[in-house]
Amino acid sequence: MTQAPIELEVKLPSAPSPSQPLWLLAVVVWQTVLALAMVAAAVAMVTGALFDLTGLGLVLMAGLALAIAVASGTAVPLMLRHRHSGRAIGVMLDYLVLVLAVFITLQAIGVFRGLDALGATFRRAVPLLAIVILGWLLLGQAERFGSRAERVRRAGKWVMIAGAAAVAVRAGVLPGLAEFFVRLAKPRALLPALVAVASGLAFWSLRRSRAVWLFGSRRHQEEALDGFLFVSPNLLGFAAFFAFPLLFSLFVAFTAWDGLTQITWLGPDNFTKIFSLQFATVDAGQSASDVLKFGYSELARFGSLIVGARDPAFWIALRNISLFAITAVPLAVIPAIGLAALLNTKIPGVRLFRAIYFIPSVAGVLGVALIWKQLYNASVGFINYGLRRLFDLINLLPGVEATAPQPQWLSSRSVALWSIVIFFAWYTVGFNTVLFLAGMQGIPGTLYEAAEIDGASPWQKFRKITVPMLRPTTFFVVATTTILALQVFTEPFILMGPQLPPSGPSNATLTPVVHLYQEGFRRFNQGYASALAWVLFLLIFAITLVYFRRQRKSEAGMG
Amino acid sequence: MHRRLFMILLVLAFVVVACGDDAATTTTAAPTTTVAPTTTTAGEEVTLRWRTRPDNDQEAGVYRAVSETLDGQLEGITLVYEPGGTETEGYQQALLTQLAGGTAPDVFWIPGADIAQFVGARVILDLRSYADASGHRDADFYPGPMEQLTTDPATGLPGNVLWGLPRDVSAFALYLNLDLIAEAGAADPRQLAAAGDWDWEAFQQVAEAVRALGPDIYGYGQSSWWGPVGFWANSGGGGFFNEDRTACGLDSPGSLAGLAFVQDFYATGAALTYGEDPEPVFKAGNMGMFQNGRWATPGIRTVGFDWDVVKLPDGPGGPSNWLFWGAYVVNANTPYPEQAWRLVQALTTAEVQAQVAELGANIPSRVSQAALDAFLTFTPPENNQAFLDGLAENPVTEAPLWNGDWPAYRDAMQVAVDAVIRGETSIEAFRADICAQLNQYFTP
Repeated sequence: MTQAPIELEVKLPSAPSPSQPLWLLAVVVWQTVLALAMVAAAVAMVTGALFDLTGLGLVLMAGLALAIAVASGTAVPLMLRHRHSGRAIGVMLDYLVLVLAVFITLQAIGVFRGLDALGATFRRAVPLLAIVILGWLLLGQAERFGSRAERVRRAGKWVMIAGAAAVAVRAGVLPGLAEFFVRLAKPRALLPALVAVASGLAFWSLRRSRAVWLFGSRRHQEEALDGFLFVSPNLLGFAAFFAFPLLFSLFVAFTAWDGLTQITWLGPDNFTKIFSLQFATVDAGQSASDVLKFGYSELARFGSLIVGARDPAFWIALRNISLFAITAVPLAVIPAIGLAALLNTKIPGVRLFRAIYFIPSVAGVLGVALIWKQLYNASVGFINYGLRRLFDLINLLPGVEATAPQPQWLSSRSVALWSIVIFFAWYTVGFNTVLFLAGMQGIPGTLYEAAEIDGASPWQKFRKITVPMLRPTTFFVVATTTILALQVFTEPFILMGPQLPPSGPSNATLTPVVHLYQEGFRRFNQGYASALAWVLFLLIFAITLVYFRRQRKSEAGMG
Repeated sequence: MHRRLFMILLVLAFVVVACGDDAATTTTAAPTTTVAPTTTTAGEEVTLRWRTRPDNDQEAGVYRAVSETLDGQLEGITLVYEPGGTETEGYQQALLTQLAGGTAPDVFWIPGADIAQFVGARVILDLRSYADASGHRDADFYPGPMEQLTTDPATGLPGNVLWGLPRDVSAFALYLNLDLIAEAGAADPRQLAAAGDWDWEAFQQVAEAVRALGPDIYGYGQSSWWGPVGFWANSGGGGFFNEDRTACGLDSPGSLAGLAFVQDFYATGAALTYGEDPEPVFKAGNMGMFQNGRWATPGIRTVGFDWDVVKLPDGPGGPSNWLFWGAYVVNANTPYPEQAWRLVQALTTAEVQAQVAELGANIPSRVSQAALDAFLTFTPPENNQAFLDGLAENPVTEAPLWNGDWPAYRDAMQVAVDAVIRGETSIEAFRADICAQLNQYFTP
């Protein structure tokens, strides 16, 4: 049952007052100045007088300036009429301008780069933290001193304050303060600082209770405004560090850009290149280049039919990742169910085994991959050494003379991908086991008891109770493992390098993420790499969607 | 209320302290656009950030020591050394990101093959005017790198520009397990080289003799990147490109002769499987000859067998090798280009190069006799001369494609060449297609 919101009616002046309060006039003047300044800034950017911007940078920066100008200009008449909408626009705008101006000021002062080095400076002051801790202890233990508790508490507080001051001074707060003001006095820092102060004052004025009264804001409007402001840190973070990069990468996917020079708009060319294929027949004595168009390379050959692609690496990566996912996902999931079933029993030492199986997931993939690289070395690696010793033992049997296989784990194009599969499955199975174990422990024991009364064998209980009841867990495990498998990168990157490129022998371990890494960071094709990233995203999205639909159908079937 | 005030004061204190430290270490702001050089008044101290790519922690330590020494020597300049990651730790990726973000150091190191990319993107400064004013002489350094560092991107030919100075140079040699070679009864490659008999045939004989010692013993090993492969093509009398580097040259008779030899050689089984990491096998004492650059020396110095180096065997095209190099360049956005140039000069003096080369991983890029003499004393290996011979005898300088896309060319070539060495592609099929495939990476 929900309660209807209580609406408090406040005085709603419908027409402009003959005399506006001074603070409102100041806010209106500020909003007007802001609007005009932003228009001027946009014009200056377009004419090249302000910043040296072109292309997307110009559109974004000039667009931002114009958007602020329009918003601020719109707010002014509404404010003069005491409309809540004017106040709401003003509050949001001044808040955003305040955040932006503070950020620019700090950047201009050099605080962010200073923060990088803060560790070194702060280290000097660490011993003095003992004084702060002493004060904190006095404060916390004051009650033990009976009638003198208040004096001890006060003493503790002052010891803490003195300690904090000593820490600050030792860490360099005094020269820092001097430097702060010196840098603040420079125009590139002072101007945004003044903007921050002005927008901060305007924001504060518009948030005060007399502004609420003057603009006739209702409670739900006020609550909405509060709500936006409370979630704003998260929203701003999401916009700056997730939404913007995501949209920017989508834009970059339609361009040619090396990350350093000017962005050139290409339209869908990158995507066309990814999917371009050519089929041709080749006669005896002809080579692929005789029949393929310029820019196409041979991808595959079926008798006299030749398949060319503008980016054969993409198709090879697609083939590799398909094979990889089809084999690695079952290997990482099915043994995990079995292991979880074993670890769900009450055999001695089971807790130790749970920890042991989980260790690979806790260890960093990079470090573990380096160890596997040594293990996989065909000549001096432990795996082939173990095989040799094993076959030595087998050959001790009468009449047996077998040769130990010595796979070229990383250098053979027919084996390299499976080496990655084994490593991936080994690395992932522990985490999946823990998930399944949690799922199993959530299955009601009464189901097993009932089955036992009915005479079910352990296998029947596993097949008829455990597996069906684990369906939601299985769905989650399969979906996440598939996504991990489709994004595999670190494993081939570390296992193959540096004596081989991460694409492995004859591109045997080339995966889509390896391909986009090579395009983006080795060949400096950020635009094409972004296009590959979006294609990979759509692929993963489509597969996940299929999983979800099947899961829903399955649940509906069960229901 | 007091608690809130205290927290605010604490945050402000951190902000202010951050400024204090920054003031002590950094004066170059992070410009996002090209800035005009800042004129400094006499006595004004400027801070320069610089970075290079060390091969290991030990080398990073030497560069830090160099930075501290130069910090005391360079008047009016305070140095901040920012150790870069190694090649596998993404040195270039980090640098690229910083350049894009406008926060790259004032002076940084780049691989020789990347120079065209950085020049084309206009992120490094033409230092010619500063060099002329300071009495610098291009001839003091190996000519191959200097040819690239003075190339005018408009013509692809040397012009009146200077993009930086080479930090060091390197060349390939064959690291020898002398114990294995003696055990195999094979001729000592160093003696063969001294007698002028160290050619492909002699090389193959030594490799096969060592291989015959046992199933786990290999005659030879090389990493599977473009450098070792390129040596065989160069040594056969060909190369990756045509004469003026405007088209693919891998279908030339010389290149094909080199690739055919290496394909046949691998087919004999005398070498470690192509693609396997040869370094641990050599260091385990299971390989007779290991082809690598000077940068591998510090690691090899830890082995427990008798070892030395010899120059690479001469092919039909005569003696050949690579001249690998990298250069210190100046960020185009530095506000202190004159001071940055002074730093580049200081980082490439004979003294500093000797200090770094003593570790064993580098060869001085200066051609002065004093620098070369000093290098020869940095033993083991005893036969350091093998590296200098490699640099003196017709080396091919590692270089970018000024009129093409070297990274794309390199990656496509690598796959095709690997297939040849593995025996998956015949030399004839390779010849028929390779250049049609690779010529698309040249700019018309």
